Amino acid sequence: METNDLVARLAVDAAPVRRLPSPAVRVVIWLAISAPVVLAVMVLMSSGVPLLLVLFDRQFLIEETAILATALTAAFAAFWSVIPGAERKFLLLPLVPLAVWLTSLGEGCVRDWFSVGVDGLQLRLDGDCVVPAALMAIIPTAAMLVMLRRGAPLVPRATLALGVLAVAALGNFGLRLFHLGDVSVMVLFWHFGSVLLLSLIAASLGRSVLHWRHRVRLART
Amino acid sequence: MRLGRPAAARKLTPPTIGYSVDESSEQDVDESSEQDQRLVRLMRSAQAGETAAYAQLLNEIIPLLRRAVRRQRAFLQPPDVEDLVQDILLSLHEARATYDPGRPFLPWLMAIARNRVADGARRYMRRSANEVVVDKLPETFPGDDPNTPGEVFGDPEALRLAMKGLPRGQRDAIEMLKLREMSLKEAAVTSGASIAALKVAVHRGMHALRKSLGKA
Repeated sequence: METNDLVARLAVDAAPVRRLPSPAVRVVIWLAISAPVVLAVMVLMSSGVPLLLVLFDRQFLIEETAILATALTAAFAAFWSVIPGAERKFLLLPLVPLAVWLTSLGEGCVRDWFSVGVDGLQLRLDGDCVVPAALMAIIPTAAMLVMLRRGAPLVPRATLALGVLAVAALGNFGLRLFHLGDVSVMVLFWHFGSVLLLSLIAASLGRSVLHWRHRVRLART
Repeated sequence: MRLGRPAAARKLTPPTIGYSVDESSEQDVDESSEQDQRLVRLMRSAQAGETAAYAQLLNEIIPLLRRAVRRQRAFLQPPDVEDLVQDILLSLHEARATYDPGRPFLPWLMAIARNRVADGARRYMRRSANEVVVDKLPETFPGDDPNTPGEVFGDPEALRLAMKGLPRGQRDAIEMLKLREMSLKEAAVTSGASIAALKVAVHRGMHALRKSLGKA
């Protein structure tokens, strides 16, 4: 097809478009969709452990704040990454709260080691949180994917990894609130580890999930 | 927080109007700014669904895109450049909701262009990784016959006459095993001859055919 013909066809197809809101507004929209789901699962699956007991735990508060900040900054960076011309340095934002979370967990591991000994660093299989985590993730993941696909897939691997990081961190934030009493090494391995693993898997799938749709259409014709 | 404006605008200025160090640099900056403002207006109208503005916008950016692609991929042939330009136009069309008219247009456009050019290079590398360029296609067999691309048929009338000249046993064996492609077992059942006898008859018949057709 000649370029002039393509221009004519695109111009005919130029229906009015709804502009994407700014990344910050999109984070609020995503949170408005996702937070009620996380809250609902929390209420339904809560084991009745009084939250007040841990609300005064300094380490718990630092970690929860860092996890929530990771979710918010990762969502912001994901929405930022689908805007052409936006500076890439903001994609690194989630690294700051992630580092805080990791540092706090490391500090907790050392404290457990000193206070309990080697027993404080023992890992055990714990499948209790798998079902609530999955339930918490479904709607936020779907919302995130729909919102990301409205943007331009310029760095699809990074975009999807950040989107999944946001979902996993938000789910983890809710999970920690009713899955209390774990030693730091368990949280480090199962919670932090699963968040990172999911993000890495998402990064590997980025190009398959987020792509320019016209290329797919062209490939099919 | 604003999406990075001044630095990005400087970095992504299209190739026609750069920030050169000569005396006309200030004039170039003004021209670039004017051009960008015009494109912003056109894009705003295009987002509202104005077909004429969209067509004008696309026509104005095509030369910029051609130059940008040529500058990044100087080795490309004109049709390949045109393919990339069309890919960029299609991507722009798909991503036009992401443009914020409060921001400059050209950095937004050039970010898409860079992405499509890089993607084109990745596709090219993937394709060429599975291709081997050779001056001459390698031969699979030393003889000419197996390397002949199409099947060459001889004279069917000569073959018919040569078949007619064969003894009945050989002719029947060739008909059953070579022309009707029966198995040795089926041919043995049909003719009542043994498998060994059929093999001998076919071998002798083929030898006689080659001899009479001049290929022995």
